[in-house]
Parts: sequence; structure tokens; C-alpha cells
Amino acid sequence: MDTHRLVRTVYGITILAAAVLLAATACAPDEERTVSFSIAVFVPGVVEGSPTYEMLVEGVKRAAEERDEVAVRVIEGGFNQAEWGEGLTSLSATGEYDLIVSSNPSLPEIAAEVAESFPAQRFLILDGYGDNHESMATVQFNQREQAFLNGYFAGLVTTHDGLKHTRDELRIGLLAGQEYPIMNEVIVPAFTLGAQTIDPDIEVDFRVLGNWYDAGTANELAGSMIGRGADVILTIAGGGNQGVIAAAKERGGYVLWFDSSGYDQEPGVVLGSSIIRLDTIAYERTLQAIDGDLSFGVSEVVGVREGYVDFDTEDSLYQRHVPTDIRAEIGKILERLRSGDLELEMPRL
Amino acid sequence: MIANSLGIMAPILIAGLGGLLSERAGVLNISLEGLMLTGAFAAIVVTAATGSVLLGVLTAAVAGALLALVFSIISIDFGSNIFITGLGINLLAAGGIPFISNQLFGTKGVLRFAEMPVLPRLDLTFEFRIPLVHDLLFGHHVGVYLGIVLTVLVWVALYRSSFGLRVRVVGVNPETLRLRGLSPERYKRIAIILSGIGAGLGGGLLALRLGVYLPNITSGRGWIALVTIYLGYRHPGGVLIAAFVFAFAETVSMAAQGVIALPNTVLLSLPYVLTVLAMVIYSAVRHSSARRVRYQR
Repeated sequence: MDTHRLVRTVYGITILAAAVLLAATACAPDEERTVSFSIAVFVPGVVEGSPTYEMLVEGVKRAAEERDEVAVRVIEGGFNQAEWGEGLTSLSATGEYDLIVSSNPSLPEIAAEVAESFPAQRFLILDGYGDNHESMATVQFNQREQAFLNGYFAGLVTTHDGLKHTRDELRIGLLAGQEYPIMNEVIVPAFTLGAQTIDPDIEVDFRVLGNWYDAGTANELAGSMIGRGADVILTIAGGGNQGVIAAAKERGGYVLWFDSSGYDQEPGVVLGSSIIRLDTIAYERTLQAIDGDLSFGVSEVVGVREGYVDFDTEDSLYQRHVPTDIRAEIGKILERLRSGDLELEMPRL
Repeated sequence: MIANSLGIMAPILIAGLGGLLSERAGVLNISLEGLMLTGAFAAIVVTAATGSVLLGVLTAAVAGALLALVFSIISIDFGSNIFITGLGINLLAAGGIPFISNQLFGTKGVLRFAEMPVLPRLDLTFEFRIPLVHDLLFGHHVGVYLGIVLTVLVWVALYRSSFGLRVRVVGVNPETLRLRGLSPERYKRIAIILSGIGAGLGGGLLALRLGVYLPNITSGRGWIALVTIYLGYRHPGGVLIAAFVFAFAETVSMAAQGVIALPNTVLLSLPYVLTVLAMVIYSAVRHSSARRVRYQR
């Protein structure tokens, strides 16, 4: 091999290695300890920037810290859904983990396939429904209640006279990262139902971003929705949510957050947040699993009544920016859901 | 709708113009996506630190230029394959930015700062105004005007200056330049650095419009910019048209989502279908008129 070619090859390899090393450093997994109960947290995506996955990891780690000799390893499965099955299979194949914890509506189906090859492996899957599969314990959040609360709040905002950016049109918006069964058959109808409980004439402008990260396109979509008269937009679009905030800030509108509290993202623009207490349930169920008290083959659905779905009314920014009468109405509807006076069952898909 | 399209077009156009310069110098710069991402990150960090959008935009251009300089050193001085190098630069940006972000701000995700200024819009009010013409000309963010100005500048540079002539010659036959005692490598390097400036600016403008940086904020716009070079027949005016056609198609698909009773997922593919369709029609018309000219001769 001549010198030039050698230099070229070495250089190429060095650059690629440096890039790979940097990428690897950027997502280095947690350290593993030697122990008697071992847990793998399989994150279908990446933890950073995802409030739900941050809650998942935080809840599991908190439970592990409360007991001796429990190890937790966090594995990020990346955004390619096609690779999740492979990731879960290789984790199960090691036979090292007493429990694999994950969170995503599509995970129970993937875990069920993996369980055919590794029937001894146990899974705890949150935010998904496992149809009582014997290898897993699943907890699904009642997203019908959650979306209903967002819609109810949006209805109160769009019909309110005292808010600066509300318009005459009875139109609200919903931006989704992608379409999927729970989005189309639970969240959109429940959001609409919530708003139309306030006024049956309210229309929902439903748009889809096509991915979970393109904030630039989300910005244009939200701008187009505001242009058509939507004054409040529920955004469920991952990184795209940032584009919605920018559009609402520039063109005058309000944003609703989903799954976690988003008031500090842009005070006065993010007006409402429905929340799921994924950290609490991850903590509680992991602790049960460590203690041997978790029942597998059980698929739970939890909602407002159980305290795992809520609307964040405690935040000071919510209290500062949301008119008193709207806060009072939200308080009442939450009370009806808590008491069981209003029941919104999560449909089986 | 045209106003919205211009806003979407600007970052793609500016990155495409930069890519065009290096392509005409014989270096297809496939790292536009990574260069845009770097520009976006630099713009947000500097604007947040200084409060100046102008400084943010300038830093985006400098950051793009510096990374493009690395590209030129690897590809020209070390003779490495330009595609492998371009790929390496894209990986470097995708892996390096989260690393730096984590070191500086303790997060690999969204970078949002309080009181962040965003790209201003040019709003001029006249006593007498024609509504449609006024809407078409004014009210856009400054990136749109910068894009138009840069299109003209790149055209002048390529076709009305000795520098442009030399860049074009390098792309076709570098030895001709060497025979005249000039260094083809020098022109290639300058063209690559200019592509870095264009892509860095494009990324910076994209992020500053939103006032936030987040991983993958460019979402393939660097690749679209690369495509506009060829859809635009390697000409600045063509890049402008191709970038506008894509942006217009995207605007149409967004507006259609709220109106047309077609599944949103189907409408999402509209920009790509419309852009290709427009370019196929343009290419067919162009070829048929070229054939007619040949026949008449």
C-alpha cells in the first residue's frame, strides 16, 4: 500500500472513530453494579428531552435505591421502532435481568413476541396494555380522561372573553407527531368531546407533523392553525412542540401540554398541562417487583380516580395566567372524575 | 400562502446556494445537513449569550465555515473520499453537538433560554399600499431577503466574476487552471468553505426563527438543499425555484390538512410528490424545446 493511500485510510478511520466515540459518549449507559436483583430499563427512544422516559428512569432508580443489592441498567433503544424487538430480544437472551421495564403503547406486543422465545423473562410495561399476558405486568393510563381534560380546558379558553389571544371562531387545534390507533381513536375523540362539553359548536383542527422532531414544520403547521382561527393548540409532537410554542408566541395563541407539566416552557403561552404520574407508578410497581409482590399476567388501567392522571393545577404559573373562573371549572371536572360521578372508560383497541 | 412558502424556503435556499458553489467546484458536499445543524446550535448559543441575533447569525456562518474547513483539509490535503468525509462530518455534528451541549448546559436535548430574541421581520408600512403586493414583499423574516440577495450574489460571483469562472473551470477540468499557474485546490477549498457558510447560515436562520435549538432541528433540510442543486440544474436561479417549489408544496400540504378530507398521513407526502412532479414537467418542457431548437437548425 502506498503512503498516500495509507494516510488517507488512517485519516478516514480516525475521523469516523472520533465521530462514533463522540456519539457513544453522548449516550453512554449507566454503570452496572453486582447484585441480587437486576433491572434493565429499556427506553424506546432516548431519555434526554423526553419527560415521560425521564420519569420512567427516575421512578425505577428511586425504587432500586430503596432496596439493597438492586442494579439498574438503562438501555436506550433509539427512535427506530423496527429495532426495539431486537433490542428487547438481546436483553432477554443475556438472562441477566430479573425484570425488564419499559414504557410505550407498542411495547406489550413486542414483548409478547420476545416472550415466546424467553418465557422466563418478566416485563413491566407502563403506558401500554398487555392483554393479561402471563410474562408481563402492564399499566395503561386512561388517556381518554387525559385528552378529555385537555379538551375541556381548551373549550373553556376558546369561549372565554377575558383572555388576550382568544378569537371569535370556536376553533381549537390538536397537533400530533404521528397518527396511531390511540391518537385517532382515543385522544382526538376525547379531546373533541371535552371541548364540545363546553360548547357543541367548537371545531377541532387536527393536524399531523409526520415525525416527532421537526420543530420548523410544526411551527408552520401551528401558524396555519392559528391563521384559521384556532386560538389554543394541544401539542403532542415531541420536539415539534417547541415549534408550536414559537408560533403561538409570535402569532398570539395558547398551547396545551400533554403528559408532563410544561408551564415553564413559555410562561403565559403554555396555559394548561395534563399530566401522568409515570414516575410514581414506575417507582411503586418496581418496588413491588423487587419485593416479589408484583402480579404478572395483570393489565391495569389507571386514571384520575387512582391519582395517576391529573391536570397540573398546583403550578404557580398556572395560577398566575389562567383566569379564576376557568380554574374553578377545571377543579370541578377533576372532582367529578375523582369521585366517579363522571366516568370515561378507556376503550380496548 | 406564498408568504409562508418564502419563510420555509429561506434556510433551504441559502444552504442550497452554498452547496451549489462547492458542487460547481467539483466537490459534492453531502455534509450540508451536519453543517446546518452546527450553524443552528452556534446561533442559539451565541444569541442566548449576547442577546444579539446578528451575532448569532454571524457565528452560525463562522461555525459552518470552520467545519467546512475541516472537510476541505480532509478531502483536499489528505485526499480522502469526499462522500466518506461528508458522512464523517455529519456524524461529527450529530454526535459532537450533544456532547458539547451536555458539557456546557448539562443537557443533550432541547436548548431553550429565557428572553431569547428571535429573527426579526421586515415590516414597512406605507401610506398607499396595494394589499397583495405589500404582503408579497414585506412582513417576512430577514432570512427571506438574505436568501434573495444571496441568490443574486452567487449568480454574479459564478457568471460575472473571474473567481466564478475559475470555480466552474475547477469543477470541469482542474488541470486547465493549473496550466495557467493557478491552484485548483485553492478554489476548491474556498468553494467548500463558502458552502459551510451557506449551510451554517441556513441552520442558524432556521433555529433563530424558533428561538430554540433541539436535536435534529434541521430534519433533513440539508439533504433537501442538496437535492435543490440538481433539481435547479446547478444554477442559482434554479436552486431558488426548486427551493420555492418544495416550500410551496409543503405549505399546500399543511393548509390542505385542515381542509381536504384526505388522511393527514397521505397529505404529508404531498411536498415530495409535487416537487418531483414539477421538476419532471419542467425537465420535459426544457428537453422538448431543446429538441425543437436542434430540429430547426
